[in-house]
Amino acid sequence: MKTVIKTTNLSKVYKDSVVPVHALKNVNLEFSQGEFTAIVGPSGSGKTTFLNIIGGLDKPTDGHVIIDGVDIATMKESQLFDFRLRHIGFVFQAYNLIPVLTALENVSFIMLLQKQSKQEMEKRARAMLEQVGLGDKINERPGRLSGGQQQRVAVARALASKPDFVLADEPTANLDTESAFNLLDIMARLNKEENITLIFSTHDQRVIERARRVITLVDGAVDKDEYFERA
Amino acid sequence: MKMLIILAWRNLWRKKRRTFITISSVMFAAFLAIALMSMMDGMRDQMVSSIISSTTGYIQIQDALYHDEPILDHTMELTDEISDLVSQFSDRIAFTVPRINGFCLGSKDMGSRGVYVTGILPEKEEKMNALSSRVTEGRMFSAEDDYAVIAAGLARQLDLALGDTLVLLGQGFQGATAAGTYQVGGIIEFLMPEQNNTMVYLPLKEAQLFFGAPDRLNSLIIMVDSESDTEGLAADLANRLDPEWHAVKTWEELLPDQVAAFEARDAQVRLMAWILYVVVGFGILGTIITMMHERLREFGILLSIGLKRTQLAMICMLETIMISFLGVLAGIGLGFMATSWFKHHPIQLEGAFAEVFIELNVEPIYKFSNAPDIFIYQGTTIFIIALVVGIYPIRKILRLDMINAARK
Repeated sequence: MKTVIKTTNLSKVYKDSVVPVHALKNVNLEFSQGEFTAIVGPSGSGKTTFLNIIGGLDKPTDGHVIIDGVDIATMKESQLFDFRLRHIGFVFQAYNLIPVLTALENVSFIMLLQKQSKQEMEKRARAMLEQVGLGDKINERPGRLSGGQQQRVAVARALASKPDFVLADEPTANLDTESAFNLLDIMARLNKEENITLIFSTHDQRVIERARRVITLVDGAVDKDEYFERA
Repeated sequence: MKMLIILAWRNLWRKKRRTFITISSVMFAAFLAIALMSMMDGMRDQMVSSIISSTTGYIQIQDALYHDEPILDHTMELTDEISDLVSQFSDRIAFTVPRINGFCLGSKDMGSRGVYVTGILPEKEEKMNALSSRVTEGRMFSAEDDYAVIAAGLARQLDLALGDTLVLLGQGFQGATAAGTYQVGGIIEFLMPEQNNTMVYLPLKEAQLFFGAPDRLNSLIIMVDSESDTEGLAADLANRLDPEWHAVKTWEELLPDQVAAFEARDAQVRLMAWILYVVVGFGILGTIITMMHERLREFGILLSIGLKRTQLAMICMLETIMISFLGVLAGIGLGFMATSWFKHHPIQLEGAFAEVFIELNVEPIYKFSNAPDIFIYQGTTIFIIALVVGIYPIRKILRLDMINAARK
């Protein structure tokens, strides 16, 4: 399968504090098209740092991140903005929808930044909201949606622009069990249907049990990298 | 761009009360600045108009030496050259007012006072300053009459009444003695004591005979069609006259003390206006800072998902522009209504305040101006201040640490 992301000797050192913190140590990983991967590990193990770096939000101290044949670690900020917009979808723990936009507008937002045609954008946004079971909530603003519904809108937003892969930072952490399962079902289905690569950072056993690959980080280094057969 | 405008507009109404308070503060600042400037300009216009009509007019053509040494020997003849010149600019000149004047001694019986004799064409003066409306006893003479109209204060000091004879004695043109007796045919009341205790009006021809200066004038006053054309017209007239013989002076050159007084007062009002601007500037800045810090996390997220820093900065700038625009617009609306009202219904002054105006020979009222430039200037100034304040969020966004912001 096609490699979507490849990291080589990825390291990150935070020098803000008195003692430098080694958040990542020589991480070498590859992610293939359509993978459903969970990155797990205790707090401070480097999960979020890893996602931030492969998401182009942060720069490594050392090493390379090759996405689509391009080393994003060497990109300028302005190039990274464009790169993120075109290649990466994000789902955050706290939903992070734009409160003044409706569900439909939130889902359309990234496509709008990508300068897609209005017709195409609206059609895709409506379809995505239908797929996450919120076809009847398209004109609702986030404040009028439950946590689970907001996170489903966030998933629709991340997937609507057809990114190469989606990074989800503890997406189920704020959801009740039913909402979490519902969200995971949707994400698993979209992963299959749209062949989109999903990479989660999580503590949530419910997510780990769905993932076909589980990478365990400990103290910034890869401790385990396991593959599972899932139904 | 449309989405950025929608986002900015909706963000504005996330906290309606705060937005209303900010818009109100901009509105009141714009309104107060407009009211302040309107009052200042209105009062200035009123004073200028009053001073100009009762003293110098807008422009004077004089003998070249008269301004530096204002004596009768430096009077000028109203030549064909000057008359032709005035005709050439008739489309910019409302009318002209010829005058001859000089200081003399005015007496009755054993009493005498220093008086200021002014020879006038009554119909021209009427147009310039409605002089006859101030006549309280008797009547204003016509150009062909030969009697005097004197100020009420002088009449009291010399115990002169209608029909009495006023004796005038002074120096005329080129050292001749100016002497004459004139029957008092009218008494005129001035608000300004200086005028009320000294003025003696004679028909122009009588005054020219009295001073031994037939056909001569101290100045030819030119009343312009449009006040804003004063400088331009004066320059055009000066270009056509021989500077060796004639000088053209504007009222600002003739009344430098008044101009200095106006400038000093204008500076005070401008200072007050700038204090207002600073207050409103900080008001807007406070709101912008609060709005920024409340949304730092949201900014981090927006940047994470692909919004560019410039686009985010544009949203914040648009929010500032919208708040300022709404506030300025409301302030202009309120200011226009208030100044229009007070322009047509001026505030009548009383007591010591009124006396100050009277001493300046100005009607004791506060008349507001609603000239468009007041609204444009004040509105633009406050708008620019808001835009300057809007630089803060732009700087902040351009330096924002996206990850830290998103974690907040």
